[in-house]
Amino acid sequence: MTSFILNEQLVRTEEHPGMVVLEFVRDVKCLSGTKEACREGECGACTVLVGSRQPDGSVAYKACASCLLPLGDVDGCHVVTVEGLSGADLTLVQQLIVEHSASQCGFCTPGIVLSLTAFALGDKKLSYEGAVNALDGNICRCTGYVAIRNAARALCESLARIDAAPAKRLGEIVSAGIVPAYFKEIPARLAQLKAEPAATGKDAVLVAGGTDLFVQKPEQLMESELCFLSKRSDLDYVTADWNFLRVGGAVTIEEFRLSEPVRKYFPALEGDFLLHSSAILRNKATLAGNIVNASPIGDATIILLALDARLVITGAGSQREVPLAKFYLGYKKTDLACGELVSEIVIPLLPKGARYHFEKVSNRATLDIAAVNSAVRVTTAPDGVITDLRLSAGGVGAVPLLLNLDSFKGRKVDAATIEALAKAAESEAKPIDDIRGSAAYKKLLLGQLVCAHFTRAAAAGEAV
Amino acid sequence: MKNEDMLMHVRGTSRFIDDIPAPEGCLHAVLFTSPVARGKIKSLDVSKASAAPGVAAVYTHKDVPGLNQVGHIMKDQPLLAVDSVEYIGQPIALVVAESLRAARRALKLIAADIEPLEAVFSPREAAAKGLIHGKRRERVTGDLAGAFAKCKYVAQGRLASGPQEHFYFETQRALAVPGEHDTIKVHASAQSPGAFHHHLAEVLGIPMHKVELDIRRLGGGFGGKESTAVWITAPAMAAFLLKRPVKLALERNEDIATTGKRHAYEYDYKLGLDAEGKILAYEIDLYQHAGACADISPAVLGRSFLHVSGSYRIPNMRVSGVSCRTNIPPNNAFRGFGVPQGTFAIEAALTHAAELMGVTPEDLKRRNLLRDGDTLPYGVKLEGVNAGRCWETLEKTSGLAARRAAVSAYNKEHADTKKGLGVVPVCFGISFAQTALNQASALVNIYVDGSVAVSTGAVEMGQGVNAKIRIVAARTLGIPLHWVRVDTTNTSRIPNASPTSASTGADLNGMATKYACEKLRARLLEFAARHLSCDDPAGVSICDGAVCVGEKGPVMNWEKLAAAAQWARVDLSEHAFYATPNLHYNMETEQGRPFAYYSYGASLTEVKLDCVRGTYTVEAVEVVQDVGESLSAEIDLGQIQGAVVQGMGWATMEQIRYAPDGRVLTGVSGYKVPDIKFVPAKFEVTLLKDSSNPYAVCNSKAIGEPPLVHGIGAYLALVDALRSVRKDKPIPPLPVTPERAFMYLHAPEEGK
Repeated sequence: MTSFILNEQLVRTEEHPGMVVLEFVRDVKCLSGTKEACREGECGACTVLVGSRQPDGSVAYKACASCLLPLGDVDGCHVVTVEGLSGADLTLVQQLIVEHSASQCGFCTPGIVLSLTAFALGDKKLSYEGAVNALDGNICRCTGYVAIRNAARALCESLARIDAAPAKRLGEIVSAGIVPAYFKEIPARLAQLKAEPAATGKDAVLVAGGTDLFVQKPEQLMESELCFLSKRSDLDYVTADWNFLRVGGAVTIEEFRLSEPVRKYFPALEGDFLLHSSAILRNKATLAGNIVNASPIGDATIILLALDARLVITGAGSQREVPLAKFYLGYKKTDLACGELVSEIVIPLLPKGARYHFEKVSNRATLDIAAVNSAVRVTTAPDGVITDLRLSAGGVGAVPLLLNLDSFKGRKVDAATIEALAKAAESEAKPIDDIRGSAAYKKLLLGQLVCAHFTRAAAAGEAV
Repeated sequence: MKNEDMLMHVRGTSRFIDDIPAPEGCLHAVLFTSPVARGKIKSLDVSKASAAPGVAAVYTHKDVPGLNQVGHIMKDQPLLAVDSVEYIGQPIALVVAESLRAARRALKLIAADIEPLEAVFSPREAAAKGLIHGKRRERVTGDLAGAFAKCKYVAQGRLASGPQEHFYFETQRALAVPGEHDTIKVHASAQSPGAFHHHLAEVLGIPMHKVELDIRRLGGGFGGKESTAVWITAPAMAAFLLKRPVKLALERNEDIATTGKRHAYEYDYKLGLDAEGKILAYEIDLYQHAGACADISPAVLGRSFLHVSGSYRIPNMRVSGVSCRTNIPPNNAFRGFGVPQGTFAIEAALTHAAELMGVTPEDLKRRNLLRDGDTLPYGVKLEGVNAGRCWETLEKTSGLAARRAAVSAYNKEHADTKKGLGVVPVCFGISFAQTALNQASALVNIYVDGSVAVSTGAVEMGQGVNAKIRIVAARTLGIPLHWVRVDTTNTSRIPNASPTSASTGADLNGMATKYACEKLRARLLEFAARHLSCDDPAGVSICDGAVCVGEKGPVMNWEKLAAAAQWARVDLSEHAFYATPNLHYNMETEQGRPFAYYSYGASLTEVKLDCVRGTYTVEAVEVVQDVGESLSAEIDLGQIQGAVVQGMGWATMEQIRYAPDGRVLTGVSGYKVPDIKFVPAKFEVTLLKDSSNPYAVCNSKAIGEPPLVHGIGAYLALVDALRSVRKDKPIPPLPVTPERAFMYLHAPEEGK
């Protein structure tokens, strides 16, 4: 039984927890405002809000792609579709979209309304830049976005005087006409809901966000027992001690990106992970899930390889640690046995004298999978001599690569060394021709990105 | 004046096909399609699929009740393959089941034994083998050899432009509901009511009066729903045979893999200039990558053929074009309909020529811009040319000369990043190049409560045509907008309608609406004069929803007038017809007057290229567009912004990759269209002042397609930046993806 509040209504359903919310709201609840246009989280037409109860009793809302959002993941939550926003009057976001003519054919519009609403509900600064980031997963094929940007700008101006103090915020948001008044009742109503505990069956498929899983095999998941890691609050943490950053296996990319420890110890990651995927996916996808998905081109994996991350793998009554560099055994093959899960990711804080830098090139600059990506953690002595070097590369092999560059230890970082590094990287790369680019391109590009690691990171003084 | 549908779009209450509540007992249909690019069907076994749980029927070509044919221009496209297949994705069988899941499961149970035959994927190879649709077209004007002999500069080479997926958000889909007496009603996401109505009747083997096609709106069309009868006739056939409602909707990746795209083209060009940079001669050969069936390709080629001279005066010219029959899904209409491809070649050739001359491309373009009195290669003597005015306005608003100087200075100072500019003038002929299609009708009904319903053949797909028609009706009748509603596009109300395409939706249907409303207005004025016993009938008028007599204020409101007229047995319904006058074209001589008028524009695009990574940002787009006396500046602005960004997508990031066997490899996760962050921070649109147009409704100008051509500016600006680094390679093809830019800069030789 899955229980949640859909708009104003309490829903208790026996539908399979692997049914995606998009299908549930359209086909079971006949709410056709949520549109299906790609079913892969690539377009944003099916965006809904998911409000989940926080430890302090408040409800935090995130925009999510409902085509990749299983019912089991919204158990105990408040799900808002476009039908749950407006009564007789349009909400402020809706009014501004109309005012700025930011809708043409209208198929993407409900998703845009919800992404902007999520921004207004949840963004702390309410800056125009934040509004654009909130819309980075909402594709529109008609308007050319100019009018959408104008509506977003007007929204930020309208909300400039909102009191963002958490206690007052929801009331202010309701008064500003962003969401209807019934939202005020939701925290109390959610407190009454009893969510099911996570399934513990031996054969249960682990869903750690599911934004890849539900693209790859949605039909199979409809017939499997599913264990939703979103229910494992014990795995929802990002902490730092003297030596390590520790990330629980249920932490989403967005939580990780914006967490205090990451901002403090790895400030560059906030921007680097913005390139990982769109807001509506980052709100659901988890760091651990992304690692286990084992894409040879995953941004998170490439970054964590360079940062020398280790995985804590928990099985039935056992626990072991595996360096990420040893986790990938072949194309999409990992050192994870049935019944095990990645319960924690351990990232060493940067050693003294170390710099980190990430490079990614994709066909579209944002919300696209890389042709090649690469990260570096280089440690130098005060005299500029390399004492440690970890350089990763994606898109150039069957698994995410950590290049073997031990021979560069002891060399000074200068033009000759950088050129030699680029050549060494190119020679280790074994890319293939695919939709992300030709093999020749990826090989040459990796060389350029390796150069950029040193020239750009050095020039910009991006020591982190 | 806005598109009133927006009020529903923001609430999610506007209904697309899949939002119509499924009728009781609705079945779901999916197509079994060819996995082979070309082959002979040796056997086809659907028995297991037919017996699968939940399956209502599996149909093959033998089950088609009428004509197994959905070819748009030529009858060369079977609805379901008979004994051979010509492309991967060609429909072979239709599975109909109680649920979509059951239908998809049954698909896997169909066994087809297809013997593969040699397939062709290169348009040039197809042309060399004589595999073309229709005839090769050629026109020679002036003295080509003599003109080239006089040229000081000759730019010559090969070019290519890539395909473009429409990526309309609502994929191809239809819902068919059988009625009594072998009738059928079909709701479809479709741009061609008349043609699809005809296809439906032919496939079902029943007269057209038994078929009703109803279209409320499209979740995007962009031309991609103009000639795509397969996905409308297939569910209709199932509904007709099973006597149950049937729905068919393509999944996104099916839509990308099996439906047509904007045609890729290859080109051979030779452009000759005199010492002053005046174009003397141009030769251009077009190889259109059409795909396995003619579809609408010959018409697209025809439009490219008519637009190869762009916005320029070219006294001596030879143009040829072939529609190449290759084994990919048949390509079709896409916003611009061949004009972007035709214009691209001359724009790229001028970039090449400017390099030879050592001047900036914009300098060269300015010298050759069309003006009044010039004659186009197909014999039209131009008047009312706004090419120069658009260009001059752009020069002023953008500070073009200073921008060029700034880019040059920037490039001198920077090695790792380079800037580039692209200036594109647009001259876009308006009318269907196929003269017969330039007709429309409107049905206007006034009810006794004063409300007015307008039906036309125009299809609303977000472009705001219904809003424009509403404006025309309200303005002509003299009543406030709220009285007027534009009804669905329905073949029972408006028969034989031309497609909503070629930017003519508002021009043609707006004019028909105007005619119908003028007749009603005249009738009502005559009645009002009689009813009010006016001495001077000419002094009676209807303004703002009220009847006025002479200088006196309102004497009778609109709803009273309607009720009184009806009671007095005055006909309150009117049908009117419009055919664009003075259009003709002779395909033998390749001469004529195919267009009623031309839409002009000019734009500047500025890019910044990262030479290390091959990536780039479009920093600015500034557009001047001639919209005549706009019916709605807000709608036109939205059309311009959307078209320009779509054109920029075509010129930069949108690409389809095929496997060696012809399979489309690119799915939704790989096909990238512009997102919100791609659009330049500086995006300015100026509507040309003091432009009027006697050839279209209320002196407006068409707006749907012309601005898409500005997207070529992104290509030109990128080439400008790339060429500032090196010129030892040929000009790259369009699109300039980051991969192409990178390889242009870093690979030893192009393509290696």
